[in-house]
Amino acid sequence: MKIRLSPQTLLVLDAFLHSPADWKYGYDISRNTGLKSGTLYPILIRMAEREMLETSWENSEEGRPPRHLYRLTAEGARFAREHRLAPAKGALRPASIQEVNG
Amino acid sequence: MSSLRRLAYGLLRAVLRHSRTENEEWARAMLHELDFIENDWAALWWALGCTTAMWRQSARGVRRWFSKQGSKKEAGMNEGGKKALGFVSGIGLAAAVGAIGVGLWLLSFSLIPAARAGGQWVHLTVGVFLPETIFVVATILLWRKRRPMALGIMLFGAAAGVHVLMHFAKHWRG
Repeated sequence: MKIRLSPQTLLVLDAFLHSPADWKYGYDISRNTGLKSGTLYPILIRMAEREMLETSWENSEEGRPPRHLYRLTAEGARFAREHRLAPAKGALRPASIQEVNG
Repeated sequence: MSSLRRLAYGLLRAVLRHSRTENEEWARAMLHELDFIENDWAALWWALGCTTAMWRQSARGVRRWFSKQGSKKEAGMNEGGKKALGFVSGIGLAAAVGAIGVGLWLLSFSLIPAARAGGQWVHLTVGVFLPETIFVVATILLWRKRRPMALGIMLFGAAAGVHVLMHFAKHWRG
């Protein structure tokens, strides 16, 4: 699995790790991470392409369109735990972290 | 609906209309999220960001397509280059064998004086039959695995054979 671990990607991975089993909405992830949609979606698309993320459509309520949902796959969760932004000790990794992981 | 929100919807609907099949799901997801953003300005910024993201995604797809075509072309060129190299090598090898044959033929005059007395058969054997036999055997052996090289050897052998035949035809006529 190969994904560019930019600080923004780490933020997204971290957001998913708060409750890995739950499905999340794009707009909620954007608000939680502070990332704009123009930054968030390319990350989500790349993660989905690398099968780190599974997607689904939520059944719509009356008069509202269905929403797209996202959740980490088992492989994605494992990867996220290995590279999470805030490890268990609570120490934050530097914001400038940029590495390519093979 | 405010004009800002209308603009946001218009943008994302246009993005959805023009997105490639593989990106359609994502474009639809971005559009549907608009219904859950309460602030109009936030909705517009959301739409602008999503438009940029989809534009970048499309550009990535185009880049990938071009690099795929490029690598295909490169592979084709490599294949052609290999064949040409094999063919030229075949001609080169055959020329080397032919040169050795001619060299042996010339040497046979001085090294084996009896050959001079023995007539043309010794010279023909050393200078023509032996190299031509090598060409035929090499062509047969290389035909399956290194066909371009075999073709090069065959071409040189045929040209040398024709040359020898023309030489003798002229000699006998004279």
